[in-house]
Amino acid sequence: MGSRSRLAGFVGAAALALLAAAAHAQNAPPAGTVVDGSLKGKTLTFVSYGGIYQDGQVAALKEFVDKSGVKLLNDGPTEIAKLQAQVESGNVTWDVVDTDDFPPFVHCGKLFQKLDLTKLDISHIPAGQVGECSVPAMNYGMVLMYKNDKYKDNPPKDWKDFFDTAKFPGTRAIDGSGSPLGGLIEQAILADGGKVDAMTPADIDKGIAKIKAIGPDTIFWKTGAESQQLAESGEADMIIMWTGRAMTAVKNGAAYTPVWKDWLVVMDQLTIPVGAKDTDASYALINAYLGKKSQEILTEQTSYSPINNEAQPKVDASVAAFLTNTPDHAKLGYQQNIKFWVANFAAASDKWTALMAGN
Amino acid sequence: MSQTSHTPTAGGDHPRPSGAVQGPQPRLRLATYPSLLAMPALLLLIAAMGYPLLTVTLRSFSDPAWGLQNYVWFFSTPVNVTVLLRTFSIAAWVTIVCVIAAYPYAYLMTAVGPRLRLVLILCVLVPFWVSGVVRTLAWVILLQDSGIINSVIRLFGFDGVKLIRTQTGVVIGMAQVLLPFMILPLYSVMRGIDLRLVQAARSLGARPARAFLQIYLPLSLPGVFAGAIIVFILSLGFYITPALLGGPRSTMLSTLVQSQVLSLLNWGRGGAMGVVLLVATFVLLALAAPLMRQRHKQASRS
Repeated sequence: MGSRSRLAGFVGAAALALLAAAAHAQNAPPAGTVVDGSLKGKTLTFVSYGGIYQDGQVAALKEFVDKSGVKLLNDGPTEIAKLQAQVESGNVTWDVVDTDDFPPFVHCGKLFQKLDLTKLDISHIPAGQVGECSVPAMNYGMVLMYKNDKYKDNPPKDWKDFFDTAKFPGTRAIDGSGSPLGGLIEQAILADGGKVDAMTPADIDKGIAKIKAIGPDTIFWKTGAESQQLAESGEADMIIMWTGRAMTAVKNGAAYTPVWKDWLVVMDQLTIPVGAKDTDASYALINAYLGKKSQEILTEQTSYSPINNEAQPKVDASVAAFLTNTPDHAKLGYQQNIKFWVANFAAASDKWTALMAGN
Repeated sequence: MSQTSHTPTAGGDHPRPSGAVQGPQPRLRLATYPSLLAMPALLLLIAAMGYPLLTVTLRSFSDPAWGLQNYVWFFSTPVNVTVLLRTFSIAAWVTIVCVIAAYPYAYLMTAVGPRLRLVLILCVLVPFWVSGVVRTLAWVILLQDSGIINSVIRLFGFDGVKLIRTQTGVVIGMAQVLLPFMILPLYSVMRGIDLRLVQAARSLGARPARAFLQIYLPLSLPGVFAGAIIVFILSLGFYITPALLGGPRSTMLSTLVQSQVLSLLNWGRGGAMGVVLLVATFVLLALAAPLMRQRHKQASRS
């Protein structure tokens, strides 16, 4: 262990030395490490979405807790409105918050601190995933799952087929659990013959119209559990599912197959709220979380994909089949235009809500 | 509407409201200031209802700037108005279904012996103790296309019916969740109705249907109204059941409030939606009140 972490230390230090071209004194420890006893007597509140996910995160942080001596409290589920209330009242009790894709971008600087990247070792995070106010907490995907016995020899192959109800009849189920699915709207625009490299707000309408055109029987599931239930009972012919839920459904006997072409890249984010009590302790937690070993534990326990590119989690074939960071899958992913969706978040949300409400 | 409980009740399932005062209390002060008895409830209401309600209302006028912008937005966005009307229509349907289902049941509860009554009461209360989410998920399994109801229908060679993700499904699920709120007030009123009045009507030559319509029904109306108001108002705020049993065309206002507040952080808009719903409810109740009062008088006169 000792020599290994020293080696990781050299690699991390080298990467950081490159980053530190700016005059900053470099003191970020390598990802996954923490100074023994450095947080003795301190308390950190870690906020996430509960369930096996948060359990896995806590397991991934166990070494950090043991070494640093910090007392780790858990809270959740993450609710941006709650965080806003804390920030506005000046009494922030959350130290590190796991959020979904957009909030750290939408509320950067207002609810979430701009991160000081000299305090984190981000050298092993997949390219393009570090935001101004966030680092990824894990990766997953949204895949199109189709029902085997419905389509038999002629299954849908991509999002175009998903939107083609003439060639591929059948009910569709879409993630209606929260924020607008930027990636799906972009795919709808593409299927409609449009372009997404210079999207305007008017394109949002086109994309949503295309989704609406699937028909009145479209199901908008509200929770991951519901999507899994839809698959296990065979209620819908094509279901857009989170990879973790898709894996569990297939394990439980759902006869569905994933389409990996242009699967939608999604991630959870780790953030530090504005007004957090002990920022350095928060950084220390995040830096430990980003480490190779922590990420392996996270993936082994949750089946979400690690965000440390050196992590080699030991998982069985059924889990590996739905990991998004395997070379086969990684190259097929489709990354939505986060900048566009953040800039147009309010308009997109209003339109998405109207779609959900049947208008 | 005096609820004289001269019928013996089974197994002490109805604690007398007066029981609270009967302890070794200093009787004097409570007797002098009976309003003190309401203080705990009042304080709780002010802290848990009054203050948040005030903040929500204030924010609807002040967030992000002072003015009526949130209300202008509400009424100029078609989806809001559609969903508001839908919310009232679903609540009305749920109330109707509850009245129809609860009335005979509550009557049965007054007509049977104490032991059977206990069973009937338990049948109402036991589901009531189960979490609403669990009950709703049970309905998902019953109502879905591949669910039990549709399997039975197909077994007899008919086409399946679309129940889940329709307004019908939402109404069924909500009515089941809210049924106790209709049965219990109805039962407590029906229990106090003197059945000799019905016998008197019969002995004066009224046919059973007439005796029921002219004597029993008017006497039971206060219970119907009380239950209907509770069910209607509770329905307006439902969130979980329509989200799980409904589709896009049965989204209710609470879902829209949720998306405004929780994902967009538009507290002002969310507040405005809440206030509109509240005011609309008050207006509706104010319109219904004279009607009820009149019936009420009739009932007590007869």
